[in-house]
Amino acid sequence: MKKLILLTTVLTLSFSLPVYAMNDGHDHDHGGEAAEMGEKAALDLKSGDAKVAVNGLVCDFCARALEKVFGKQEAVNAIDVNLDTKIISVSFNDGQTLDDEALTGLITDAGYNVESIDRVE
Amino acid sequence: MRYVLFALLGMGLFIPNVQARPVSYPGGWTFMFMNDGDANTAHIHYSPTADMSVGYKFENWRDKEFTLNAVQVNNLIKRWNKKHSQANLYLKSGLGIAHSDRDDFDSETSAAGFTGLATDWENRRFFVSYENRYTEAGEIDDFFKQSARVGWAPYEGDYGDTHTWLMLQVDHTPEGGDNFTVTPLVRFFKDVHLLEAGMNNNGELLFNYVLRY
Repeated sequence: MKKLILLTTVLTLSFSLPVYAMNDGHDHDHGGEAAEMGEKAALDLKSGDAKVAVNGLVCDFCARALEKVFGKQEAVNAIDVNLDTKIISVSFNDGQTLDDEALTGLITDAGYNVESIDRVE
Repeated sequence: MRYVLFALLGMGLFIPNVQARPVSYPGGWTFMFMNDGDANTAHIHYSPTADMSVGYKFENWRDKEFTLNAVQVNNLIKRWNKKHSQANLYLKSGLGIAHSDRDDFDSETSAAGFTGLATDWENRRFFVSYENRYTEAGEIDDFFKQSARVGWAPYEGDYGDTHTWLMLQVDHTPEGGDNFTVTPLVRFFKDVHLLEAGMNNNGELLFNYVLRY
């Protein structure tokens, strides 16, 4: 019984572990319509679109995670994840955008880290 | 046996996940079906955040002659994101009910729980993981098990391609007769599907399937 009490304690602590697994934590609204995702070809980026260098992109699950998270953003038209270059290209809907802080927050919330953000001139 | 539990928790802090990742992206559902020489398991979990998942776990331990139904919580304790690699440390714990009516047991039911640490490192060509777990099932059984895996991808597939991994898994159950088993296996991974198949040195099959969306 003592062992079960100990295990119960571990499980309880599991629910209460602070959110410190990633280097940065942000809380953002993930509402909005799903954007068009899953395109294999690189996007045709326009002025104001973003190219984000991301650390930790090692597999398709990582890429899919980012697609899912960005897909919930109303401002996002589409994204392309390149596992070779570790760069995600974000295309915004006309008249809409996400600032660098919002982009960083979304990627951090998905479990990855932003190395740099470049905007298309 | 409590000391074993503390030992495994401590050991996991220093030793470099054998299975697919136990935590998904925010809002992600994962269905995991694992079958090997010891057990058949099913684990369905939901990740409200990128560092936690909660779900249901069913296990049928064939030789140990009991089944387990549990609520399982997985925590991503720490993730190291590098430009070309990623490493993770997880805590995986569950509480539930164990049941056995086989051989020595006459419809024995007991509260049960388990906990353990899992860690992994991977880039697009290499994979290393380690996982341990202590299981307590009252009068039915209690045991410790640990597993390690190394993997190599013969090619780097692009996003959306079929990814192939050749892997070698070593399982260690100190109390068991065949306390070490070695399982060469192949992993195929495409879109939301992950499939693994192999056979250990005792001729027992491994077949795992994971669906994540």
